[in-house]
Amino acid sequence: MPDTSHNPVPSGHPFCRRGRSTEGLIKAFFGGNAALTIVILVLIILFLLREGVGFFPEYRTELQNFRKSGLEFVDIARKDLTAHEQMGSLLNRAYFAQVNSNCREEMQRLEEATAIVNYLGEATAPAHDALVQVTDAESNSPPTPELLQKLSAQYRKRLADALSGRLGKGFPPTPHLSRTEQQLLCDQIAARDPLSTDDPAFANELQASLAAKRELSAAPLIAFRDAIDAFQSSSSALDVLVSETSDTVKATKEAAVLHGIQVRKRQTLLDAARTAKPDLRSQLEADIAAAVTTEPVDFTAAMAPVLARIPQFKEANAAMSAGLTEVSEKLPLSLSDEKADRYLKAFRAATPAMAAETADTVGLLEGWRADVPVGIGMTISGFISGRDWITGGEWQDIYGILPLFIGSLMISIIALAIAIPFGVGAAIYTNQLAGPRQQRFVKPTIEFLQAIPSVVLGFVGIAVLGTLLQEVSTLDSLSWIPGFPIQQRLNMFTAGCLLGLMAIPTIFTLSEDAINNVPAAFAEASDALGASKLQTIFRVIVPAAISGILAAVLLGLGRVIGETMVVLLVAGNRIQIPDFTDGIGTVFQPAHTLTGIIAQELGEVPFGSVHYRALFVVGILLFVIVLAINWTAQRLLRRFRISQH
Amino acid sequence: MVSDSVQPAIPAIEIENLRFSYGTKEVIHGVSLSIPANQITAFIGPSGCGKSTLLRCLNRINDRIPGAAITGGSIRIGGIDISRPDLDLQVLRRRVGMVFQKWNPFPKSIYDNIAYGLRIHGETNRKALDEKVEHSLRVVALWDDVKDRLKTSAFGLSGGQQQRLCIARTIAAKPDIILLDEPCSALDPLSTLKVEELLLELRNDYTIVIVTHNLAQASRCSDQTALFYLGELIEYGNTSQMFQAPREKRTEDYITGAFG
Repeated sequence: MPDTSHNPVPSGHPFCRRGRSTEGLIKAFFGGNAALTIVILVLIILFLLREGVGFFPEYRTELQNFRKSGLEFVDIARKDLTAHEQMGSLLNRAYFAQVNSNCREEMQRLEEATAIVNYLGEATAPAHDALVQVTDAESNSPPTPELLQKLSAQYRKRLADALSGRLGKGFPPTPHLSRTEQQLLCDQIAARDPLSTDDPAFANELQASLAAKRELSAAPLIAFRDAIDAFQSSSSALDVLVSETSDTVKATKEAAVLHGIQVRKRQTLLDAARTAKPDLRSQLEADIAAAVTTEPVDFTAAMAPVLARIPQFKEANAAMSAGLTEVSEKLPLSLSDEKADRYLKAFRAATPAMAAETADTVGLLEGWRADVPVGIGMTISGFISGRDWITGGEWQDIYGILPLFIGSLMISIIALAIAIPFGVGAAIYTNQLAGPRQQRFVKPTIEFLQAIPSVVLGFVGIAVLGTLLQEVSTLDSLSWIPGFPIQQRLNMFTAGCLLGLMAIPTIFTLSEDAINNVPAAFAEASDALGASKLQTIFRVIVPAAISGILAAVLLGLGRVIGETMVVLLVAGNRIQIPDFTDGIGTVFQPAHTLTGIIAQELGEVPFGSVHYRALFVVGILLFVIVLAINWTAQRLLRRFRISQH
Repeated sequence: MVSDSVQPAIPAIEIENLRFSYGTKEVIHGVSLSIPANQITAFIGPSGCGKSTLLRCLNRINDRIPGAAITGGSIRIGGIDISRPDLDLQVLRRRVGMVFQKWNPFPKSIYDNIAYGLRIHGETNRKALDEKVEHSLRVVALWDDVKDRLKTSAFGLSGGQQQRLCIARTIAAKPDIILLDEPCSALDPLSTLKVEELLLELRNDYTIVIVTHNLAQASRCSDQTALFYLGELIEYGNTSQMFQAPREKRTEDYITGAFG
């Protein structure tokens, strides 16, 4: 039988296809949309890579310069100095906490008196300002007596109102001042000349009594004070040395950078001259001749005077070590005030580390070589495992993403710790336990959370959650919770809470889907065996949906890691690896994140600079992390679907 | 219309004038029958006659469907009216096991499928679990096939094996009564035969109620047969008698294929 299937339908025949071109057009249109989307995605990746990849060689050159000009050398010594300063400040805090602990009553009395003075001052401010204005010596015409009288009367009236507590927020509470003392203070202010801003005599008295009390309580601590002063001054030699040598090396570095810029400029001009028109060429050639005005820097010669001071560094280092040993012996064993004692204990705990660090320094200084090249591997590992992210300084920009990465990670963990129980729990409730009416209410309501713009959540976090948490944390009954009272209003926990809130709808919706997709036959079989509702849920339904739930959690994590606005507003933005010695309380420290740093700094960096490129590398890293998370989630989901059929 | 020719065995389930509705639609209109213990009773009838619904009333699994409720009459099992709203359904379902039309093992291992019913009823002793799992699998003649892969997924078994696994899962919980809702409708003839043989063996220890579409199956393996039509019981009696000499005209029509 001959194959006729390829013979065209004769035109004019009713079966002949019409409008073939429209169909092709529609296909091309939709296909084009899909293709364009994919092309844009590829372009974004390429762009990210192009901007980011240049970072490592450039950063390497910077680090090379950092070493050659000796900045690194000075940094070795400076590290001790910083540590010493921190130790000194710990001691100072212990000292002042101890001194103030004895004067709490006086401080509160003074505070309350000041509050009254301020309240009255604010209440009478309009009348007072008017009086000041008219009596101003510079003004053209002296005020008429009537005007003065009128304004004074106004002032008196407002003052009287304020004294009876009728203005503003009302009279401030004064639990530590007696009724007579309060009356005395008010009388003194009432008697004060309207134009005077002097503190009333009673306030001055309180101040004097506080000062006296301070002196009194400082007296037994005089040995402690002396020990602190001696400790602090033990670093003065190093301080001078570091500041002098850092001036030298900074000058070297700046000269080298300037020379580098000039060389680059000449190169650009040379390139331009090669293709320029003849009439421009002479001008360009003149520019080229004038481009480089500085000599190339002789790093070895520049570094020689600094290296020559190594013996001095040694001496300064020894002085500091001695200072540390000495102060450790002289410190009191413990302090009666709890806060002061905590600072003292922190000092003691940090002493061995500080001693060890100081001891290494001489060896490091002597072993330091300017000519050891900085490898690209070192640059990369320094970027990934670097503990500092220092930018915008005069000294040297350091790019280490560890603090940012840890910040992002901790905030995500907190967010998930909050979002998983709520999201999955709500999904189980909605799907398994709620009646149809509750279902109709709960599902859209939780999904509605997603509609809140993250910036709005951000200011809810700042204005409500942060303040609320901090106030709650000062309650005495809650002081057993690690990290309470919270020192910083904006911290990882606040950010984690809000991000958790943002992840709940994602986790809820997808978990609910996963649970809903578990065949009813499983639940029916379990029911028929006499299982209770909870047994059915936790032994049959949740295990059957577990990979779907995991995928939901991962997608929630992807959302949390990539979120920017909330963390930028609420996480506190301190670029530092959190101090994990606080245990669980670590979560109440501020942190900065991978996303936050890009949002914060990208707008301010010069286009194409090393800093700019560093931010792109952070962006690539984020992209890779989120990609990996989403990919894993997709795979889990696929496995889940297969296991269902 | 209970036939007085019912064998004198002790009635395990007594249904009296039962009415059942899905929402406002009544689907069982006053059915009364008495199901004897340690026998196999088959429910037959055309689609939509209420035979499955009646079966699903016996362990109140219909309660899963919103709006479904017994609206009149009573079902007595062991002397207790199980249609009472304050009944402990978990205890009832422990005594009245059920096997479904489409096999539905859990997405767990073969072992865990059998052990599930035991575990939810508080059995934690490892050895006791092992013994009961083995016993149940031996009863359904699955032990030799699966003893080396107890820890693998139950989904790896064939359809007939999965259905027998579901029966094993049901009997592991030690019920008095087993309800089977068209257990063989999705099985090939060979697997069907195996399940039927199994039912005949189980008859000695359990009261079995089976819903089936397959008249031959009813005649092969049931002692009593009840024919339903449009929510009413048409005829109920000894299987061989009913198939050979039906008393009702409609029964005769149905078993000869005139309708249904």
